[in-house]
Amino acid sequence: MDEIGLQRRQVFQGLIALSAVGGLAACGGESETVEPRLAQGASTGFFTNSEMALISALAQTLIPQTETAGAGQAGVPETLQLLATDWGDDAYRQYWRAGLAALEPELVSPAGESFLAQSPSVRNQILAAYDASVFEGAVENDFYRDLKNTVVEAYYKSEPGATEELAYEPVPGEWIGCVPLSEFPKTWAT
Amino acid sequence: MADFDVIVVGSGMSGGWVAKELCEKGFKVGVIERGRAVSVAEDYKDFAQPWDAEHLNRKTAQDREDYPIQSEVYAFQSSTRQFWVKDKEHPYETAENTQFRWLRGYHEGGRSIMWGRQSYRMSEIDFTANITDGHGVDWPVRYDDIAPWYDYVERFAGISGSTEGLDILPDGVFQPPHDLTCAELDFKAIVETNFPGRKVIPGRVANLTEPTQEQMALGRGRCQARNHCAQGCSFGAYFSSNSATLPAARRTGNMTLIPNTAVHKLILDETTGQAAGVDAVDVETGETKGITARAGFLNAGTIPTTMILLNSATTAQPNGLANSSGQLGRNVMDHHSGARGYATLPGNLDRHFFGRRPNGFYIPRFRNHTEEGEGFVRGFGYQGSAMRGHWSRAGHIKGVGEDLKANARTPGPWQIFMVAFGEVLPNEKNHIRLHPTKTDKWGFPVPVLDVAWGDNERAMVRRAIRDTRAMLEAAGGTNIRTDDPETAEPAPPGIGIHEMGTARMGRDPNTSVLNEWNQSWDIPNLFITDGSFMTSGRCQNPSLTYMAFSARAADHAAALLSEGQIG
Repeated sequence: MDEIGLQRRQVFQGLIALSAVGGLAACGGESETVEPRLAQGASTGFFTNSEMALISALAQTLIPQTETAGAGQAGVPETLQLLATDWGDDAYRQYWRAGLAALEPELVSPAGESFLAQSPSVRNQILAAYDASVFEGAVENDFYRDLKNTVVEAYYKSEPGATEELAYEPVPGEWIGCVPLSEFPKTWAT
Repeated sequence: MADFDVIVVGSGMSGGWVAKELCEKGFKVGVIERGRAVSVAEDYKDFAQPWDAEHLNRKTAQDREDYPIQSEVYAFQSSTRQFWVKDKEHPYETAENTQFRWLRGYHEGGRSIMWGRQSYRMSEIDFTANITDGHGVDWPVRYDDIAPWYDYVERFAGISGSTEGLDILPDGVFQPPHDLTCAELDFKAIVETNFPGRKVIPGRVANLTEPTQEQMALGRGRCQARNHCAQGCSFGAYFSSNSATLPAARRTGNMTLIPNTAVHKLILDETTGQAAGVDAVDVETGETKGITARAGFLNAGTIPTTMILLNSATTAQPNGLANSSGQLGRNVMDHHSGARGYATLPGNLDRHFFGRRPNGFYIPRFRNHTEEGEGFVRGFGYQGSAMRGHWSRAGHIKGVGEDLKANARTPGPWQIFMVAFGEVLPNEKNHIRLHPTKTDKWGFPVPVLDVAWGDNERAMVRRAIRDTRAMLEAAGGTNIRTDDPETAEPAPPGIGIHEMGTARMGRDPNTSVLNEWNQSWDIPNLFITDGSFMTSGRCQNPSLTYMAFSARAADHAAALLSEGQIG
């Protein structure tokens, strides 16, 4: 076997090993709760603990745990922390800090209490109303749109988002241009 | 005694073919590559999972600093950056009031790793375009001369496509095509009914859908429909030098790959008038070395090939070698792409697709063919696709909580995207020259690119936008988005990543650099088969044509070497 063929075989063996590990991780991940991950993510990085608490609450309200993971279980707040800390520049960081600070007062309850003080169902009602006002054009808030898009991207590129909530085929094997939706009802992950 | 029978400068799309053909005929070939050797295990990132990518696979600030030009290309991601040059190390300049986005990778295999793989033949209409409308010079070959070589390279490379019987886009030796999606099939029916003469066909692409014994013997496998091509393919399922031609050359025992070696000059033997070899620099140590051969092929890519010959000027030939015509470095062409269209298509909401197609649909040229051009000569074709809405739309529409999850989980309506690629006319004013004083860190003069599109390209892109809108409207598209056809401009030169034309073939040594065999009129043992040889650009993607002309020129050079006419 020539050099390239040998390298390719080694890559395939690596793939099989990876698939086995991925399968185990997917089985073991469901019972994990959101809180330990939050505490872990809040300890270091650009966003302060209180900013991380707000990010986590917003992310989990946008994408809650259902029969599949929510944003918190999928590590979305940590991804946002890493983006701000390691990836973004100062302008990006200040944009997020100012955006969060301006958003929080928009999300107080009818009684004037903070978003974080609310139950998940009240958070959902508050954010759904705000989200509708932005997407129906009554309120202009590009930061909120960016936040929502970033949470969505981080969640659906995460392992639970891609493999449990959506349909993911790492190696489809073939392309079929037209199939019944009933047989493949979920959006493809990539 | 020379070091090699033949030196091939560059291991990319065309150089790999020359190496394969000459090695298989028994010649000792030295392939000089300015970049590193590529390893499947280390360089290919095609098994990365979406969640493995750091920072959502976004370009970093460091990427933008190191790769300010390359990082803007569609195929640049954190998982593909190893295949693009660091712009800071490889500077170039553009003339005042011009732009040029020069997109490239310096490594074994060159851009054959990152290419878009679309593979279309030139037609007789393309070969006679210059003589018909008077732009540029006449091609010294016709379709019948090159057709058997298209057959030959398609059979080896593996091209998937459908047989259509179109004179504007000749059929070839095809493996089974990629299906059109349900929405594309409806779009095809509407376009072909409403606009007789227009066709919507599966893209023709260099991905194996039914590999042959010959391909499998090289370790190549069937396309797995992952659409990770730009990251390299560990299955060897799409054609690249790395998956196909270089392994074929290597197994003969006749190829020596010389990586990390940048050729600076072609050396002329003044007594014989033939090329004696090259002067090169080890890019890691800075050490210079001479490499000799009986014949040479320049396959460094259109711009570097031109730079090498311009930099080889002597007292007797102050304008560069192989340049008695004065055409070397002139007639830079690319494909202008600017007419992008998007729309939502109705229907097929109970339909979906399976897999990730590394391909789309193609609409062959119809302007100045089955329909009038209206203010321009030549024409354009379209690439596109219609797929169901992606999960990312959930971030762009109303909805939180379980509503958001349902929005993402449910495939969205069918979204069509299409983009035109248009032919650029050969124009002597569009040229490459060497900077008189500035050099790169290895002492090679920096090129100055002086290229601008003209009225013909502008008129074409505006027509292409109008045609896009008409087809999307006929198909019942909503939310149709295009540029304004009254004011749109073609994308700047370079964006098509099809730069070509600077050492054109022709029938007259006074007006062309190469003869009908890709052989220098001036230096009989020098051949050029990268994009520089293109006498006109036609609108189809060019790599398949480079492959066919490379194999044909190598065959001719082999005969001349064997007969003792050169070398």
